[in-house]
Amino acid sequence: MINAVLVFNNAGQPRLTKFYTQLDTSVQQRLISEIFTLVANRPNSACNFLPLPPLLASSSKSSTPTTPHNDTPSLVTYRHYATLYFIIISTSTESPLALLDLIQVFVQALDGLFENVCELDLIFNFETLHATLGELIVGGVVVETQLDKVVEGVKAQGRVAKRPVNEGKGGLSLAGFGRGDGVWAGR
Amino acid sequence: MFEKSLYDLIRGLRTHKGTEKEYIADSIKECRKEIRTNDMDLKSTALMKLTYLEMFGHDMSWASFNVLEVMSSPKYRHKRTAYLAAVQSFRRDTEVLMLAENQLKKDVTSPTPTVISLPLGAIPHVINPSMANSLLSDLLPRLTHSHPSIRKKTVGTLYRLALVYPETLRPAWPKIKERLQDVNEDPSVTAAIVNVVCELGWRRPQDFLPLAPRLFDLLVEGGNNWMAIKLIKLFATLTPLEPRLIKKLLPPLTKIIRETSAMSLLYECINGIIQGGILEAVEGTADGEEVAKLCVGKLRGMMVIEGDANLKYVALLAFDKIVRSHSHLVSQQQDVILECIDDPDISIRMRALDLVVGMVNSENLTAIVGRLMRQLRNAPVASSTDDSPNDRGRRTGITPYAESDDSDAEESLRPHEQKSNHPPPLPEDYRINVIRRILEMCSRDTYANITDFEWYIDVLVQLVRVSPATKSTSAVEYDEDTDYSGDVGRGIGRELQNVAVRVKSVRSEAVDAAQSLVLVDRRDQMFPSSGNGGQGVLEYAGWLVGEYATYLTSPEGVMTSIMHPLSLNLSSRTLAVYLQSVPKVFASMSGNDQVSWTPERKTLMTLLMARIIHFLEPLSTHPSLEVQERAVEYLELMRLAAEAASGTATGGSHGDFTDPPLLLTQAIPALFSGAELNPVAPGAQRKVPIPEDLDLDTPINPNLHSLLANAELEAFETDEDDVYAAYSEPITSYTSHEPAHSVSASERLDAPTKEPSSYQNAVEEEYLDPDIIARRKAERRERYKDDPFYIDPEGDRGSGAVTPLGRIVREGNVGNVEADIDAIPIMDLDLENRGGDDIMRARSPRSPRRAAVRRVEIIGDETLGPREVDNAREDIVQPRLDRAKGKKSLLEVDSSGLGSLSLDDAGDDNAGRRLTKLDIERKEQEEAEMKKALQEVERLRLEMQRASERLEARGETTVVRKKKKKVRKVEVEDDGGGEVVGVEGEKEGEAAPLKKKKKKKAKVPDGDEDAAAGKHDDGDVMAVAKKKKKKRRLVALDEGAPAEM
Repeated sequence: MINAVLVFNNAGQPRLTKFYTQLDTSVQQRLISEIFTLVANRPNSACNFLPLPPLLASSSKSSTPTTPHNDTPSLVTYRHYATLYFIIISTSTESPLALLDLIQVFVQALDGLFENVCELDLIFNFETLHATLGELIVGGVVVETQLDKVVEGVKAQGRVAKRPVNEGKGGLSLAGFGRGDGVWAGR
Repeated sequence: MFEKSLYDLIRGLRTHKGTEKEYIADSIKECRKEIRTNDMDLKSTALMKLTYLEMFGHDMSWASFNVLEVMSSPKYRHKRTAYLAAVQSFRRDTEVLMLAENQLKKDVTSPTPTVISLPLGAIPHVINPSMANSLLSDLLPRLTHSHPSIRKKTVGTLYRLALVYPETLRPAWPKIKERLQDVNEDPSVTAAIVNVVCELGWRRPQDFLPLAPRLFDLLVEGGNNWMAIKLIKLFATLTPLEPRLIKKLLPPLTKIIRETSAMSLLYECINGIIQGGILEAVEGTADGEEVAKLCVGKLRGMMVIEGDANLKYVALLAFDKIVRSHSHLVSQQQDVILECIDDPDISIRMRALDLVVGMVNSENLTAIVGRLMRQLRNAPVASSTDDSPNDRGRRTGITPYAESDDSDAEESLRPHEQKSNHPPPLPEDYRINVIRRILEMCSRDTYANITDFEWYIDVLVQLVRVSPATKSTSAVEYDEDTDYSGDVGRGIGRELQNVAVRVKSVRSEAVDAAQSLVLVDRRDQMFPSSGNGGQGVLEYAGWLVGEYATYLTSPEGVMTSIMHPLSLNLSSRTLAVYLQSVPKVFASMSGNDQVSWTPERKTLMTLLMARIIHFLEPLSTHPSLEVQERAVEYLELMRLAAEAASGTATGGSHGDFTDPPLLLTQAIPALFSGAELNPVAPGAQRKVPIPEDLDLDTPINPNLHSLLANAELEAFETDEDDVYAAYSEPITSYTSHEPAHSVSASERLDAPTKEPSSYQNAVEEEYLDPDIIARRKAERRERYKDDPFYIDPEGDRGSGAVTPLGRIVREGNVGNVEADIDAIPIMDLDLENRGGDDIMRARSPRSPRRAAVRRVEIIGDETLGPREVDNAREDIVQPRLDRAKGKKSLLEVDSSGLGSLSLDDAGDDNAGRRLTKLDIERKEQEEAEMKKALQEVERLRLEMQRASERLEARGETTVVRKKKKKVRKVEVEDDGGGEVVGVEGEKEGEAAPLKKKKKKKAKVPDGDEDAAAGKHDDGDVMAVAKKKKKKRRLVALDEGAPAEM
């Protein structure tokens, strides 16, 4: 299952935090900061899977070389879009490549909702951001992966606010988000 | 008063650059005010702002009651804000949770789908067992809600309910299963159910076998890649239980592998084939060959695809899973895998490292270790300051930066290219990991893969130099309980010690290495130039120089280094080891009774002892008890020895031999000599049998008291000389000769070809420092020189026969003229230990080629009786495992509760039993029968009711209502229970006709119809109670099961 979904920007400022277990606010912040440290140091050519941050590694990656327990979060997947990092922490029961697809669906759904989404949209409409995630994942279980249904579900909850008119330029396309796109966007 | 909206708050944050903290504090203060007003809009806005700030770590737990207030607002907009706030801010200890329950129930049963969605999303975040119990009845009907989006979310919510309250599944599972079996169900709902089933599946796969046909259909139909991936994962857990599935699965899986365009699906297919044991199952058949080739070929393809690191990463993951079962398949791909060790991406390196540890054998060990060593040596050490700019507020807490309005937040979410492609310096934990892995690879199976131990010692020395600094090394806090795995230096030290003890042939080299590590004046050279990395090795090096002091080439230097003021800064543990080494080294320097006790010798010794006493004195008040005790003991001993030395007259200067004091030559050395130390298997101690005649109860001497009293008196009478005389009894000197081992001719013939050929110097130079290489070369020359069969072309030295002696003399070991047999570079043939026990394990060469190369004797662990390695190990490993288990990972959601709950419809005692088709049919029949019986009961009841109403129309209403209620209750129970607990259902079915009869009897119209009805009701209630009890017992029985699984 999925243990957490995080979104933060290039400076490490959180834009969305969703933990599917109850966690102290301070621990949440430490985890975000640890993951940011890991992710910010990665070159663009690197793969989209992070080593476990110290907070998670200390308890799960014990000296035993056996496969990690299925309940323990053991996979940190991320994708980087312009100014934002999207991160999913999950257990080994999820498929790593499929999670990358899931992030892609999430971002595409946001793009569909905001029409050329950018970080500002997400800052000012963080409720919609949460609602979109809520259509994809409930309690750590992925309940929907079809783009149109996600968008439909969010729209059913009410009008999606647009970013204030004077607040910035448009032009957010997701056309080419990183390399390897065509390789597994087989959905 | 001006009220801020969320928009204003965010704008405000962005304009208050530098003073965010104050701004936020003010804003929170405003929110506190706003949230207390009666205006719902205002409250809700305040809540939204607080939720936003919570994201940055600002506590809003104080507002939890207000969250509930807003939650109860009739407006959807308010509800949505409040539910989000609840999800983000409620914690386990939030007290208002109890109060939220009613609101959740209310919203779950709301007629509006969007409102229902809110609690469905929120419940997983706040749920606890008691809440789960009461919410369950409201959630279950949502599974059949007309809206598919509600149905799919309910499935997810029910899963989380089941995690905290496994009983959820008893009523919920049949309904979920029904949804899954329904071919007309919305595909989204089916996919969501498959997700949940996949999560449940690995806990109790046997419960899901009956679903296999439907799941198989779903897989073949395809359409949804995400679901297909989950199905494959689920099947991988099912195939070990039902081998017949493999045959069925293979065609669709290979079809997908060949045809799919989705990499994720392709990868999971291969993964499923590997993990489901399909490879093993079809091994040997033509199909199997083909599948294995296909999988490995595709995986290899993933590794070599240019520029896609993700595929490389997952391919390594997959290889890692097959390396233990199909090592031959993996080793075919060795070339590409080894490339990954040097990948610029740390994630890939880590995976490759894990994989390589499983692949290592004696052929490739040197090459792999060489690669890793080169990496460690060449990469810059990441200093802690490197990542500080990124270490965003780890201590201070985060405040949203004020960003200027033209910030890049408006940039579209396009890939950006500003980051450099330089590989980052190796992070410390990676370094530590690499070092550990190297040690693990080399030491596996008691060094089975190592052919050249001198190479290994050099590697160990080099590893010390590249060790990262450790955090806790200050002398005081480094306590006994420090986790020893925390410091790789100690790991390296242990290896060095292990090699020295186990491999006699390289003992002198190992001690040499230890000596150079201990020497203070070489410290800069031997240890990392910055930080305190590798210091842990000193503890073991210190032990080695003491225990094998006879091998030391410069005991004076070692003595000086051990007693150097710098030693006082070492950890108390190391210091204690050092203290033990002091008298050992001293004994080796002073213990030679062949050296005449000349005035020079006397002065030398007295001086040495004075220095030792000077070193020990301050340590006798050391805070560490261990250090203190050892210091006090040896201090006394040294004082005694000093006294003895000064009291012994020296001989004349004319070369007459004068005996040195016996205390120095006999007594002190005897403390440290004796039996050779051998490695002992863990648990061997336990196997020492207790002697039958051992009697611990009888006093050894009945009149101990008088004996002690006598002893005290005698003590005064004893002459000092007698004490010394006691030592003069012939004791085997600690430098006693090892029994000269006979060496067979064939082994002698082996000797000249000892030179290992498994490595190349050119490669070595890449990862060993120049000085180590220089030493290696010198040693190699040396070794040939010492070789009695080696004909030195220069021929300018003595005959080979005296070389061992010559070497020792050359290296200036003070007067130690005893030839150390072990130093002779000819393999020992240890006849002594060859008897029965497998104490000594002469390594049998694996390939004939290597047999000619070298044969190294490694001492295995000593133990008694038959070797039960596993048992013995368990003693030691056990507690650590327990600890690991007890510690839950941060984000972990524990699902262990599910393991004990059987979804097996049979519900009888043998929970693990697999369902045959017959069983299912029988059960269905039973269920149908029971349903019929229940309907009959219901019908009769209604009849009865009507009859009673007809008879006594007045004054009966209350009773009737009561009865109705109870009837409904019984039905619910039967519905829920009957399907889950099949056998009970049968009983219930039997019970039903019985009741029926009773009721018929009661139909007799008379005056106490009333009472009769009441009685029946009682009976029903009792039946229900009884059933409940039985159900509980059943669960208890199930809980016992996983222990055996």
